[in-house]
Amino acid sequence: MSTTTLEKPAVGAPTKQKVMLCEGNEAAALGVALARPDMVAVYPITPQSSLVEHVAKLIADGRMDADIVDAEGEHSVLSVLQGGALAGARTYTATCGPGLAFMFEPYFRTSGMRLPIVMSIVTRDGITPQCVWGGHQDAMTVREVGWVQIYCETVQEVLDTTVMAFRIAEDHDVMLPVNICLDGNYLSYGTSRVELPEQSDVDAFMGAKDVNWHVALDPMKPMAVDPLTGGSGGKGPATFVRYRKSQCRGMQNALGVIEAVHAEWASRFGRSYAPLVEEYRLDDAEFAIMTLGSMTGAAKDAVDEAREAGRKVGLIKIKTFSPFPVEALMRALSKVRALGVVDRSVGFRWNCGPMYQEVLGVLYRLAREAGTVLPAMSFIGGLAGADITIGHFHRVIDATERLLDGPAPNEPVWLNEND
Amino acid sequence: MGRAYSTIAFDPAKCDGCGDCMTACAQAKTGTIDRARSRIQIVGRGDTIKDATKDATEKAFELALCRQCADPKCVTVCPAGALAKDGASGVIGWDASKCVDCLLCTVGCAYGGIALEEATGHVSKCDTCDGKPACVPVCSKGALTYVTTANIYNEVGDWEDLFAPGLAGCQGCNTELLMRHTLRRVGPDTVLATPPGCVPGMGSVGFNGATGTKVPVFHPLLTNTAAMLAGVKRQFKRMGREVTALAIAGDGGASDVGFQSLSGAAERGEQMLFMVVDNEGYMNTGMQRSSCTPYGAWTSTTPIGAGCAAGQPAQGKTQDAKNLPLLMVNHRCAYVATASTAYMEDLYAKLDRAIEASKTGFAYVHVYSPCTTGWRFASDQNMEVARKAVETNFVMLWEFTPDEGLNFTRPVDDPLPVTDYLKAMGRFRHLSPAQIEHIQGKVEENIRFIKRFAAALPA
Repeated sequence: MSTTTLEKPAVGAPTKQKVMLCEGNEAAALGVALARPDMVAVYPITPQSSLVEHVAKLIADGRMDADIVDAEGEHSVLSVLQGGALAGARTYTATCGPGLAFMFEPYFRTSGMRLPIVMSIVTRDGITPQCVWGGHQDAMTVREVGWVQIYCETVQEVLDTTVMAFRIAEDHDVMLPVNICLDGNYLSYGTSRVELPEQSDVDAFMGAKDVNWHVALDPMKPMAVDPLTGGSGGKGPATFVRYRKSQCRGMQNALGVIEAVHAEWASRFGRSYAPLVEEYRLDDAEFAIMTLGSMTGAAKDAVDEAREAGRKVGLIKIKTFSPFPVEALMRALSKVRALGVVDRSVGFRWNCGPMYQEVLGVLYRLAREAGTVLPAMSFIGGLAGADITIGHFHRVIDATERLLDGPAPNEPVWLNEND
Repeated sequence: MGRAYSTIAFDPAKCDGCGDCMTACAQAKTGTIDRARSRIQIVGRGDTIKDATKDATEKAFELALCRQCADPKCVTVCPAGALAKDGASGVIGWDASKCVDCLLCTVGCAYGGIALEEATGHVSKCDTCDGKPACVPVCSKGALTYVTTANIYNEVGDWEDLFAPGLAGCQGCNTELLMRHTLRRVGPDTVLATPPGCVPGMGSVGFNGATGTKVPVFHPLLTNTAAMLAGVKRQFKRMGREVTALAIAGDGGASDVGFQSLSGAAERGEQMLFMVVDNEGYMNTGMQRSSCTPYGAWTSTTPIGAGCAAGQPAQGKTQDAKNLPLLMVNHRCAYVATASTAYMEDLYAKLDRAIEASKTGFAYVHVYSPCTTGWRFASDQNMEVARKAVETNFVMLWEFTPDEGLNFTRPVDDPLPVTDYLKAMGRFRHLSPAQIEHIQGKVEENIRFIKRFAAALPA
C-alpha cells in the first residue's frame, strides 16, 4: 500500500486527503475507524473476512479505539452490539450470506428497538447450491426487516458511505440500523485508488454521539426495555401499531436525511454521490436500464457505447434500496418510455428479480398519477459471482429497446445462463 | 427492621419420648414435677411412642409448644387483650390481670402452644424462660435446641426488594423467591437480563410499557442473553462505570437454544453473573422437556402413554439430564456454583462470591428450583422438595474456582434413597421399578463422577 498526499480542490472546507490503494473491505474498515465506534463485534465469513481482519488490525495497531469482541457466531455478534448500543455505544459489524441468515433473529430485533447499529453486508449469493461468491441474494432476502440498506458502486463510495451510515443511523428522526451493501468479490477484493479524509475533518462531520437517548439500560435511569405488549382486548395491539407506524415513519424520514448527509459530505470532502437514485445520461433518453451496486460501472460503459451508436439509452442506479426511493424513481422513470431492470438476485415468488418487482410498484404509481404505462422487463445476472460484462449489458440494452415497439415478456432474462 | 427471634427447635428424629424436658419445665414454672403442668408437651402417635423396634423417624413424636408466631392467632382471637407479642424478644406474653379465662386462645392456636393448666384454672404457655429455656439443656438426645432463626432476614430484611410486589408467579413459586433474594443481594447498581421464561413471564419486565423491576431490565432473545449482556457490561466498563451485569435465565434457554451464547461469553470471560433457574423444563410455555429435564420425568412433550411399539410404553423422558454446571466448570469460569433455595445461607454465601467473581470474569450460579405447577406437587411443598433433592444427592451443592477447584459446600455422605425425592412429585408417579433403579444408579454415578472430577482439579 503506497500513499501520497494531495490537495483537494476546495468545494466546501478545504481538506487534505491521503491517497492510497486498497480493496473495498479495507476501505470499509478505514471508514469504520474514521467514525470512531466504541464497540465492534466480529465473526469471519467469506467474502467479508478481510474486512473484520482489517478492523482488528486497526485496533491492534492503536489506529482505532474500540472494544472488539471476537464473538462465537453472528447471532452473538449482533446481540453483543445490541447490548453495547443500549448502554450508549456506537457500534459496528459486518457479515454476509449464511452469517446474515444466522443472525436473523437479533437482526429483526435491532430495527424494532431502533438501535442505530451499522453493519456492512459484503453481499453473497444464497446457498444452496453451495456458493461462496458474490450476489445480492442475502441482502435482498432481508429487505423487509426495517434496516436502511444502501448499496455502493465503488471502493471510494464504500469508504465514504460507511462513515455517512453512522450519521444516518443516529439521526434522531431516523434511529434505525443501517446496512452498507458492498458487492462480494467485486468490491470486497477489488483494489482501487481511494482518498482518505483527515480524522479531524470526519470528527467535525460526525458531531456528538447520542445513540441511546430513546432506550437505555442504565441504573441511572432504570427502565424496562422492550416489555411485552398485551394481547387483544387491551391496549397492547394499539401500542404495537403505533410503534410499527413510527418505525415506518423513521424509514421515510431516512430518505431526506440520507440526502442531507450526502450533501454535507460533498461540501466537506468534495465527493458527491446521488444519495437515493442516480440518473446517468437520462435527460434525453427514450429508455433506461436500472442497476444496483458494482455492476453499474460496466453498465455505464455499455450505455456510453450505445450512445456513441446513436441509441437513446440512459441508466438509473439505485443507491438507497431501503427505504425504497419511490419519489426519486418516479421522477427518473417519468423521463423514459421503457425500462430494463438488472437484478443480482432472484425473487422466487414472482419469477423475476426482486428490484424489478419493487419497481413495478413505482410504475403503478406512475400510471395512476401521470397516466404513463411504462413497459418493463427483468434481467437476472451476476449470480454466484458471475461477471456482468459490457457485452451482457448490450444484450440488456437491446432487449429493453425492443420494449419501445414490441411486447414486454413476463419471463426474466437470465444473463449468465449460457456463459 | 430486621430482627432474628430466638426459638426452641425440635428434631423429631432425635426424640425418644423420655419426657425429661416436660419435667424440667414443670419444675421451672410450677415447682412441681407434674408433667401435665409443663408448657412443653411431647406427644406420641398412638402406640409407636414406646415401640423400641421402630426407628426414630417412624416414631414421629410431635411437639406441642408455643411457636411465638410472627402473626399469632392466639393474640388475634383474645377478646381481652391478655396476650401480646413483645416486639423486642418476639415472645408472646400472657397477662393474668387481663385474662378472662375464655380459652379462645387455645382454639386459635394450631400448635397446642397454649392450653388450660387445670391446677391453676388459667391458660399457660412457654415464655422461653427469658432466653434460658429450662427444657433445652436437659434433653440428652439433642432433640431440643435453642436457636436464633431468620438470620438471613435479620441481615437482609432492610435491603430493598427490587421487584414490584405482586409478580404473577404461580402459587408457591420458588423462582420468585429466588429472584427477590438474588436482586436484593446484588443491589440496585445492576442491569438485569431475563430471557423469555418464567422470570419475565411473571411480570418482572412488565407489560404495556410498565416495568416490574426497579433496576434496568430487559428481555433478551431466548438465544442471546449472555451475548447481549456482555455488550452492556463492556460499554459500562469502557465508560469507567461499575455496574453488575446479571442474568436470571431458565434452564431451557441456557442449556439448549442459548447454550452457544452462554458458552461463548464464558469462554471470553465476559464479566457478568449468569444465574440459571433450573426448573428442569420449559415451564413457562407449558412444561415441555429441556435438556435439563431428568430421566423419567413427565413433561408435556415427554408424556405418558401406551406407545406405538408393543411393550414400549411412553414413560417420560428417555435421556438423562445435561449437567450444565459441570459444563461451565469446563469453561474454567471465574466461579461456578450449584445452589438450592432450601439452603438459603449457602445460596447467599455463593451469591457473595459470584458477585465478586463477576467483577473480573464470568460467574455462573445454577439454582435447582422445584416447580410446583410443572413437577406436580402441592404449592406448600416447595422447600420440602428442594431439600429432599439435596438429601438424596439427586442435587449436589458445590462450588468451583480455578484456584480452589471443586468443593462440596454441603456434602451428603449418608443420602436418603432417591425414592424419597421422587415420590414427592406427580411427574414421577408413573415410574417403573426399572426406571427408579436407573435413576438411583445415575445419582450414585453422578456423585462418583463429580468426586473424581473434583479430585482431578487443583487444590
